[in-house]
Amino acid sequence: MKNPTKKKRNLFTQKICRFCSDKIQFIDFLDIKLLKPLISERGKIVPSRISGNCARHQRQMTEAIKRARSIALLPFSEEH
Amino acid sequence: MRNYQSILILKPDLDEAQVEQSIEKITSIISKFGGAILKLDNWGKKRLAYRVKKNKFGYYLNIYHTCEQGNVPALEREYQLYDLIIKYLVIRLEERDIERVMSKAAEAAEKAESEAKESVTAEKTEGAAKEGVVAEKTE
Repeated sequence: MKNPTKKKRNLFTQKICRFCSDKIQFIDFLDIKLLKPLISERGKIVPSRISGNCARHQRQMTEAIKRARSIALLPFSEEH
Repeated sequence: MRNYQSILILKPDLDEAQVEQSIEKITSIISKFGGAILKLDNWGKKRLAYRVKKNKFGYYLNIYHTCEQGNVPALEREYQLYDLIIKYLVIRLEERDIERVMSKAAEAAEKAESEAKESVTAEKTEGAAKEGVVAEKTE
C-alpha cells in the first residue's frame, strides 16, 4: 500500500523556463504583462521551484519585480 | 557622463497643459545638472498598484537621460522637492541597455512608418480596384 502522507509531486512540474523558451535575453521591469503571471495572488514572487524558471532568469525576474514594485506598477501585497 | 532612466509619477489631478509644463520643468532640472534628455515617454494616467500619498492614479513619465556622475543625489533631491511628483525612481543604465532602448525605439518608429505607408498603398489599391470595377461596368 502507498504511503498516504506522501504528496503527489507531479502537480506543478512544468520544468521549462518560460524566458528560455521565448528566448528573452533581458527582462524589462516596465513590461508588467510579462511579470504579472510570476507573482501570486498575494503579490509574492513565485519561487522557481514552482514556476520552473532557470536560476539566471529567476534572478533577473526578481530584480525586475522589485523595481516594478517600487514604482507602483506591481503591488507589494494585496489591497486592504 | 552616464546614462540614466528616470520614472516619475505625477499627481493625477493635472490637465494636459500642466503635464506639459511639468515636463518642461523636469527638462530644465535635468539640464541644470549637466544632462540631456535622450527619450521621453508619456504613458498618461495609469492606475497605481497601491496608494501613493493617498492617490490611486498617477501620470507616468519615463525619461531616458544623461547626467553628470556626482549629481544624481542632487537630482533626486530636486525630484523630492518638486511638489507635483509623488514618486520617482532613478536607475543607472549601462551602455548596452541604452543601445537596446534606442534600437527598440528606432524599430518601433520604422514599423509605424511602414504601417502608415502600407495603409496609404492599401487605399491606393482599393481606389484602383474601384476604378477597375467602374471601368468594367462601363464596358
